[in-house]
Amino acid sequence: MATETEPIRGIGHSVRRVEDDRFIRGAGNYVDDIKLPGMLHMAILRSPYAHAKINGIDASRAQALPGVVAVVTGELMAQHNLAWMPTMSYDTQAVLATDKVRFQGQEVAAVVAESAYVAKDALELIDVDYEALEPIVTPQRALESDAPVIRTDKEDKTDNHIYDWESGDKEATERAFAEADKVVSLDTFYPRCHPSPLETCGCVADVNPATGQATIYMTSQAPHAIRTVFALVAGLPEEKIRIVSPDIGGGFGNKVPVYPGYVVATAASLLLGRPVKWIEDRTENLISTGFARDFHMHGELALKADGTMTGLRVSLLADEGAFHADAQPSKFKVGLFGIVSGSYDLPAAHVTATGAYTNKAPGGVAYRCSFRVTEASYLIERLVQNAAYELGVDPADLRKKNFIPKTGSRTSRPPASCTTRATTRPRWTWRSRRSATPSSGASRRRHARRASCTGSGSRRSPRSSAPARTTSTTSSGWR
Amino acid sequence: MEITVTVNGVERTADVEPRMLLVHLLREELGLTGTHIGCDTSGCGACTVLLDGTPVKSCTMFGVQADGRSLTTVEGLASGAELHPVQAAFKEEHGLQCGFCTPGMMLVGAALLEDNPMPTEDDVRVAISGNICRCTGYMNIVKAIQAAARARAGTAEPLVAEPAAPEPVTA
Repeated sequence: MATETEPIRGIGHSVRRVEDDRFIRGAGNYVDDIKLPGMLHMAILRSPYAHAKINGIDASRAQALPGVVAVVTGELMAQHNLAWMPTMSYDTQAVLATDKVRFQGQEVAAVVAESAYVAKDALELIDVDYEALEPIVTPQRALESDAPVIRTDKEDKTDNHIYDWESGDKEATERAFAEADKVVSLDTFYPRCHPSPLETCGCVADVNPATGQATIYMTSQAPHAIRTVFALVAGLPEEKIRIVSPDIGGGFGNKVPVYPGYVVATAASLLLGRPVKWIEDRTENLISTGFARDFHMHGELALKADGTMTGLRVSLLADEGAFHADAQPSKFKVGLFGIVSGSYDLPAAHVTATGAYTNKAPGGVAYRCSFRVTEASYLIERLVQNAAYELGVDPADLRKKNFIPKTGSRTSRPPASCTTRATTRPRWTWRSRRSATPSSGASRRRHARRASCTGSGSRRSPRSSAPARTTSTTSSGWR
Repeated sequence: MEITVTVNGVERTADVEPRMLLVHLLREELGLTGTHIGCDTSGCGACTVLLDGTPVKSCTMFGVQADGRSLTTVEGLASGAELHPVQAAFKEEHGLQCGFCTPGMMLVGAALLEDNPMPTEDDVRVAISGNICRCTGYMNIVKAIQAAARARAGTAEPLVAEPAAPEPVTA
């Protein structure tokens, strides 16, 4: 407990980083820098198809290549009950495909060899007999009644629907819309993106078959969660598993999930009694590991004629890929509701979300701690901007009019001060869409930089003078 | 085949497959893991090393192509305990976060300062345009390279400025 004379150090003070000394000397210890005695190298064969039945896999030519120690297939993993693993969203995900492949880049087989070069060579010698099926690449198509079922592995599954979720007061929201003077709506799509840390994912698995003790060095942001999943997959007690996260070359959410490569490398180490290193390349990282966003969003705002907001309705269609693997299933949707309804003094709001399987990589990670904050901010601010255009008023004024007031009960600080600061900048102007004159891209970017402010902190940040997650991009006609 | 390269001033000999990439020669054969692999397609610059003083991407060059030539990696930037001005500046200006792009960034910066001892911000940005950082953004990397230029020229204000103490926050 600080006293009156004891300043709190930390906030507002620069702190010398202890890790810089090794990084600037090239003496960091990233996972690919780890070399263990007797270590083998693993490479993964991935599906060239988004959706295809596997009729057979012939690994004999790969197995015969000098330097190859083992070829691991889904069939082999299934013998050890390891062909599937749980996801963080209570679904299952194929470790190595057995029945069919469900996205391009899905893990089909793995080669363990004395060198990384030989392991990659051997991938080209594995013959897989695929039978192509219709790929489903949008959630809209996925939910059509005649769409082929992606998750045929699930008993009794007859469609590609995953979940329906809702929050808010549906009846009050419907009433607000029935009584509204003006309803503004927006359909938008926040595309899939990838966190793409500069260091790709990978691990060195070191299992001692005699003791059953597993040590896995891994570029992981969530070593504890991963230990739990590993314990579930392997049927081992957690104390038998040690996950070591060495220096990590960026993560941004991409290094939260458990990826099949980790499981296969660990299983291979157990079966072979030698450490196994698996480091994916950039292409593998981009096509198969945790993505973010991929929301098709519909928003509606109910307003009075004077611009007062009276209700908000949002419906989302989430493209979850082939396996539902949102890194934190509850927080994402709840976070979205909190953000879309969190800045403006809305008497009523209702949000629904539907998830669908598609033939894309699984994932659903935060990407820089956006627990659906980015999607929600984008939707609500685009909606408010559109409302201003349709009402013919200054978007900043419309925002200030509707921000939760200082005395409001739902937030401790109103975001209005941020907008006020932005709009009192010397260069700030607002022109109606019709009179807006096109300006060059460069000056537009400069201007947008000056006149926008975005926070992404917590909802209630009592000490922060910059209010959380309010975007006030001014100057119209730049959508 | 056997090759001889001078790495950080030391002559090294290695017996490598002709197809072995330079980055693997450095990391796997010579044990210099400060050179990183980010994309294996020349896109990210994490594998940048200096070949006879010029930055090259070691993931798209064969080790055998370096035969008889001189290489500088991040491990060779400092002189013993004494940091290269670029290294010191990256630390002081917070030019790094995860450290993965840092060796490549620093080597490009060091090579730039050999050619252009007092680069403008634009000069620095052009020089590092083949290097990607995913953590910090580029502001502090540019600042660090310019700070290193001033330090080398002896015109620097002290690199480390103690931040002004803010108003104490009391409970």
